[in-house]
Amino acid sequence: MPDRDVAPDIVPETPCPSRPSLPALAQVMLKVGATGFGMGMVGVLQQEVVTRRSWLTQEEFADGLALANLLPGPIAVDVAVYVGYRLRGWIGATLCLLALLVPAFVIMLGLTIAYLRYGQVPQLHGAFKGLNAAVIALVLSVAYRIGKSSLKSAAQAALAAVALVAAFLHANLVVLVLACGLVGALFLSSRPKTVMP
Amino acid sequence: MNLLRLALVFGKIGAVVFGGGFVMIPFIQREVVQHYGWLTQQQFVDAIALGQITPGPILISATFIGYKVQGLTGAVVATLAVFLPSFLMTALAARQMMRLRRNPRVGGFIRGVLPAVVAMLLVAAITIARSTVWFDWRLLLLMVVALILLVRYKVDAVYVVVGSGIAGFLLEC
Repeated sequence: MPDRDVAPDIVPETPCPSRPSLPALAQVMLKVGATGFGMGMVGVLQQEVVTRRSWLTQEEFADGLALANLLPGPIAVDVAVYVGYRLRGWIGATLCLLALLVPAFVIMLGLTIAYLRYGQVPQLHGAFKGLNAAVIALVLSVAYRIGKSSLKSAAQAALAAVALVAAFLHANLVVLVLACGLVGALFLSSRPKTVMP
Repeated sequence: MNLLRLALVFGKIGAVVFGGGFVMIPFIQREVVQHYGWLTQQQFVDAIALGQITPGPILISATFIGYKVQGLTGAVVATLAVFLPSFLMTALAARQMMRLRRNPRVGGFIRGVLPAVVAMLLVAAITIARSTVWFDWRLLLLMVVALILLVRYKVDAVYVVVGSGIAGFLLEC
């Protein structure tokens, strides 16, 4: 692939010091995908894209992070797609997504095949029980993290309580999420400041 | 047929995981384990654990489930389907960035969604616990220790998962 580091047709108001080539972009995303875990990917991504290569400014990157928080999907993946789109449009976005996923996909596939073949070995039963404990702790820690930052008003606490009952009663989860979002859009848009103690 | 269903289920999950990849857990539990029975509860929990020790996003657990249902093709389909909605939304939203961020309704929507996410995660944790660690005080203790390490000491999730696996292995010996 030709290396086009300098794009003459770049829009002047885009405050982007250097527009990376597609292979360079793919290389960075492969690295992020292979070395970052979960939210840790955002840190690696920021280091590569902002600090080391100055492809985006800190503010532009923060915009992407804010956007990722508004949209569904893993934060790091959303940010990577945002970076790809900002730098190289749709092709960049697609390339970033795929390059980010390839290392994880290959490793996960290998682990899956190994698990399905050797997972029933009795010696490993204990280890998998231990993993159960870890997964429950992880889910609770994420609930705690999101709860701490989002349950800031009595209205939101009430919404969580209603959702808790609904989820226990096997309500459709997609409907539940969208209904709570609708309630939020109607009644929580003005950012109430009644902070709970 | 299975492939189409796989794509639809994971596409739907990918479109509603507000708040990060972990939010897929309640949805996957409901759809993949309870509704379609593609995985046992134990396999589901193991898929999450494997997703955690794999670099990259936790949603990559979709690869495991896809492979279990339909081999390599299933793995590719499930993985692409789960990431497609957020990919499309992010790329489209990147153009509308400023307008979107200033719209108070968007902020309100998210402020409404996140409490529901917290509730769903709690229910998912309880459901997993009831089928596993509930009846074994040593595992409950391990769970509490893991939680403290994660929340209080901010230990990286990878180490907690690997450590818990080793601890469980040693407990069984």
